[in-house]
Amino acid sequence: MTVLGKAGEEFTPPSSRDFELPEIFGDGTILTKPMLLVLLSTVIIAVFFYAAARRAAIVPGKLQFAGEGVYGFVRDGVARDVIGPDFLKFVPYLVTLFSFIVVNNVFGIIPVIQFPPMSRIAFPAVLAIISWLVFNYIGVRRKGAFRYFKDMMFPPGVPKPVYLLLAPIEFVSTVVVRPLTLALRLFANMFAGHLLLLVFILGGEHLLVSGGLLAAVSIPAFLLGIVLTFFELLVQVLQAYIFTLLTALYIAGALADEH
Amino acid sequence: MSHESSGRDANPGDAWTVIAYLLSGLLLWGGAGMLLDRWLETSFFVLVGMLLGGVSAIYLVYIRYGRS
Repeated sequence: MTVLGKAGEEFTPPSSRDFELPEIFGDGTILTKPMLLVLLSTVIIAVFFYAAARRAAIVPGKLQFAGEGVYGFVRDGVARDVIGPDFLKFVPYLVTLFSFIVVNNVFGIIPVIQFPPMSRIAFPAVLAIISWLVFNYIGVRRKGAFRYFKDMMFPPGVPKPVYLLLAPIEFVSTVVVRPLTLALRLFANMFAGHLLLLVFILGGEHLLVSGGLLAAVSIPAFLLGIVLTFFELLVQVLQAYIFTLLTALYIAGALADEH
Repeated sequence: MSHESSGRDANPGDAWTVIAYLLSGLLLWGGAGMLLDRWLETSFFVLVGMLLGGVSAIYLVYIRYGRS
């Protein structure tokens, strides 16, 4: 063990406890880091879009270009492609959703901040509930409750007895599984990603302070930590995109006419 | 038949919807089979239910996406 450095303190691997952050003031005021980050994200998004839209010019400046890039991406790439002719009404919600999730996710790799609020299940759960309310409300308002559920549960061109098997599946997948998977996918990706970074960076740190041969091994650990940080960026943006895309898809499904 | 009225093409998000169907089918009818097993003190209805649910879900995916 002498070569491998002093086997002093045990390494405590990162666990779900690392996600339970203490109250900031620690005096019963319910304010934690994720809450603060969510507040911060709304301020960042508001300032960003306000600054981008202020003094909007025909030849856009850098900031306006960035703002219109985000807006245009969600409007054309998600809303218009997926929802079709009636897409414009839903663009504000989808753009808000996308920018909110993307900023909160990227918090996970911004130095000093380095915590993705979406790794606490409550935040994605609330977003999923909002999306669930939106697409069901739209469907019921567009078609009336009876025809909305009829279109949802009884796809045309199926022998009648088979509906006995299919209708419950349709109902469960739309009303129960959709919001559940929406929330869980975002939560699990952020949770796992943060944990992965913790493993490599805290593990690397432990190796480094252990000294001896282990200190040399910390170099690949840190290198992988850096690589995975960039990989996390990809996952974070992708998850925000998927959440927005699926919400748009559900809205489109609620609007679609079956014959 | 059932010409796609919205006229939209296949979408990367569709994959997730398909997974939701398969998951729902297995859980729903598998769960029903499990309850039946518990009630009748048998042990094969879970399997029957899951198979039935899986097949139904695949059929449902075919109905929603496979026909054009």
